[in-house]
Amino acid sequence: MKLWKTKSAAMLGLLLLTFTTACGSGASQPTAQASTDAAAAPAATTSTETKATADAKPAAGEEITVYLNDFDAVIGDMFEKKTGYKLNVVVGNGAEIMSRVEAEKGNPQWDVLWIDSMPSVYGLDQKGQLLQDWTPENAGNLKESFEAQVPDDKSYYPTGAHAAGVLVYNTNELSEADAPKSWEDLTKDTYKDLIGTADPAIAAPAYPFVSWFFENKGMEGGQDYFGTMMKNGMRVYPKNPQVAQALTAGEVDVAMLQETNAYSLVNAGEPIEIIWPEEGAPGSVRVAAIQKDTKHAAVAKEFVNFLLDPEVQQQLINEGDESYFEPSAEGVETKEDREQDAKLNIADAAWASEHEAEIKQWFADQAIQ
Amino acid sequence: MTIVLAVLVLFPLAAVIVQVLLPGIFFGSLNFGEIGLLLELFERPLWRKSLENSLLLGLGTAVLGTLLGTVLAMARMQWKFPGARWLDAAVWVLFIMPSFILAQGWIMFSTGNGLAASVFGWHWVTAAVFQPAGLIVIMTLSKFPLAYLSVKAAMEWKVEMLSDAARLCGASPFKVWRTVQAPLLLPAILSGMALVFMDTIGDFGLPSAVAAVYRFPTLPYSIYSAIYTSPIRFDMAGVLSLYLVALIAVAMLLQFWVLRRSRYDILSGRAVPSVPKPAGRRMTWALAIGNALFLLVVIGIPIGSSIVTSLLKIQTNGLTASNLTLENYASLLSEGSSLLPGLGRSLLIAGSAAVIGLIVGLGASFVLSYSRFRFKRGIETASLISFAVPGVVLGIGYIFVWNQPWLENLGIRLYGKPGILVLAAIAGAIPVITRVMTGAMAKVPESLLDAAQMQGGSLISRIRHILAPLVRGALISAGLAAFGACVFDLAVNSILFPPNFETLPVAIDDAFEDLRFGYASAATVAGGGIVVGIMMILERLLRRKEASA
Repeated sequence: MKLWKTKSAAMLGLLLLTFTTACGSGASQPTAQASTDAAAAPAATTSTETKATADAKPAAGEEITVYLNDFDAVIGDMFEKKTGYKLNVVVGNGAEIMSRVEAEKGNPQWDVLWIDSMPSVYGLDQKGQLLQDWTPENAGNLKESFEAQVPDDKSYYPTGAHAAGVLVYNTNELSEADAPKSWEDLTKDTYKDLIGTADPAIAAPAYPFVSWFFENKGMEGGQDYFGTMMKNGMRVYPKNPQVAQALTAGEVDVAMLQETNAYSLVNAGEPIEIIWPEEGAPGSVRVAAIQKDTKHAAVAKEFVNFLLDPEVQQQLINEGDESYFEPSAEGVETKEDREQDAKLNIADAAWASEHEAEIKQWFADQAIQ
Repeated sequence: MTIVLAVLVLFPLAAVIVQVLLPGIFFGSLNFGEIGLLLELFERPLWRKSLENSLLLGLGTAVLGTLLGTVLAMARMQWKFPGARWLDAAVWVLFIMPSFILAQGWIMFSTGNGLAASVFGWHWVTAAVFQPAGLIVIMTLSKFPLAYLSVKAAMEWKVEMLSDAARLCGASPFKVWRTVQAPLLLPAILSGMALVFMDTIGDFGLPSAVAAVYRFPTLPYSIYSAIYTSPIRFDMAGVLSLYLVALIAVAMLLQFWVLRRSRYDILSGRAVPSVPKPAGRRMTWALAIGNALFLLVVIGIPIGSSIVTSLLKIQTNGLTASNLTLENYASLLSEGSSLLPGLGRSLLIAGSAAVIGLIVGLGASFVLSYSRFRFKRGIETASLISFAVPGVVLGIGYIFVWNQPWLENLGIRLYGKPGILVLAAIAGAIPVITRVMTGAMAKVPESLLDAAQMQGGSLISRIRHILAPLVRGALISAGLAAFGACVFDLAVNSILFPPNFETLPVAIDDAFEDLRFGYASAATVAGGGIVVGIMMILERLLRRKEASA
């Protein structure tokens, strides 16, 4: 009895191993992946040299792995066309990507992180996971407002910013006169049970949205503001897509929705109107950062510099999937139908990072109120 | 067997839990975490409430879902009626569809101006659905397939003489059912119940979407909120997962306690394969109509809504002739669409996982049913864990375990390669397989195998010639269930998929996040249709062979 157990276990183990290795070389893409991994191993030993002579051109065909949450459909081709280097893209929502980065902490698999959660990236830098003190050539093109977002240790660079939340309403249900005009209007009784928003404890873009209110009004003021709306029957959905669905399904008439999401609904022909409150919309900055121990520093730098190129940003606006944003480089035109004097309020990254756990926990705890 | 189980399920989960106590262990530093976190459950109101809600939801759904699944399975195996095959197909559809998709359908149907109110004028539906009791009903209608599959698989063979004897003694058909047939199915019913319970307490998508109106935090909600924050609290996720595991252990203990009192190995030379009998004419009609109405609710509402969504040009404008389009389906096939390659990869992964999972699961069930191994109860509980613990937590555990630098030198650093998805998929398939198999094996007496062994039959030949034919239906069900469930398993996929290796659920979720609802629904409907089609064909082929044998 004992014998067959050990025997069969061993056999299964063997089977499993052969299978998984077979699978690794079965599909064509992973083969390329695996072989470059192997090729990268010797390069690793020389990575210190590469860093020292950062300007030396890396071999053509070298690949880097980028973790991002948007633009996955276009960015790989754009970069390869321009530089000849290949991008391996891992896409996911903000929270998934950050979970991966955190879980890989002991042996990071990413070279560049390009994501619209600046406070979280700031947090990574505080833990010493980012390459510091490097200035890309194209950083000179940054608009003043974006230069202000570059941290003192130069660990990440902003490539653009968008509204983490704008006001939207269903024009079939509300007239223009009845629609809310400012953030404060949402606390009115008129909108009882009619408002929808994403849960900051779960949805990644919702945090930059709420954090500005908390920074602006103070912790208590922020809790009052959102607390009043929740008492007023505001519906809290796990994520932005569910908010959008609730709006199109008529569950709610007014919503706070991420900018590109809002414009996509309008462009899809849905009867939705977007309102940019005069006091401005809370903004979310997309930043690019390089992993500290990357084995492909030269290509990674090339990529970050590429993202700051005005031409590249213009192309992202013209062709990308998250194309409604304010570019960080001078001389780039925003989408024509985007509000021309859209004002973005950006919470301070250090403040937002410091209070992230506290604010998110508060929202999660509201689930039992 | 133990080793394989450990590698697949226990290591990753243990990794997540170990790092509660030793946060730096996977990153090369040794420091101690706060033990106090373990007790925080009793201090943080959210956590306490989550636990209560999860228990309420899990128990309620387990009781109702098992009842529903058992009754349906029995009716299906007892009588012949038109549309019975459709019931089987519907069960597979519900079983493989990701729960958040089912949730969307129910929401679209029942909101204030949803189909129920606007088309049928049933305004009460909104209030009835959007409350905890309504959530339990929706969960029941979505999770009963687990109980159905388990019971149906166990009813494949029956010993008529027991029922006949009871009938001869003057018992009414109902009394025979209540005192003979139902009790004999107890192991399978309890297996199904355990599965329903676990799948329910581990589900994040459905409760969180349906409960947006009134807030109903569950343990998975709290786990997600711990992970989706920065700094990320893997330790909190670990603690909460530990509670989920504890709940499973309690559920399993209860099951052992119930089963300990009796033995069920009733199959003997007189067992015959179950064949549904013709019911009377009136009965047949009643069954057919009841079945059709039931399918209309459990499939029509959730899947119908997805189909409607996939056909609309403008979502807000609703179902009108001028608003219909097939564009979304056309774009599935267009160049650059990630659907087909994604589907191909997912099918490949699910297929390999089902085959390997079946071998591992069959072995595990065999050990559980016939060996005298001391810790087999422990193995049984462990084999179920991956079902209840949210995929994200397991996924993180997989990264901890399979991304260690030293594995690279051995060439088995699987994270970042497709192999990791197969591994995770096997882990996801094992609970379903072992549950369905042990439920069926409980009826096969050890003496049949012993007799074969006395005649010199080797282990392999005993399994092949005695056991496998007797539990064939269960084997098929288990394999197909594992296959179908793997194809749409989003949570594990989204955190583990290698660069440039998008799978079907990831592609669908990506479209959903970009608000391409029509496209996402079309991809779900098409993908789901293809997968269920494959499953139905496989089932037909495998079962037909049995009939001719």
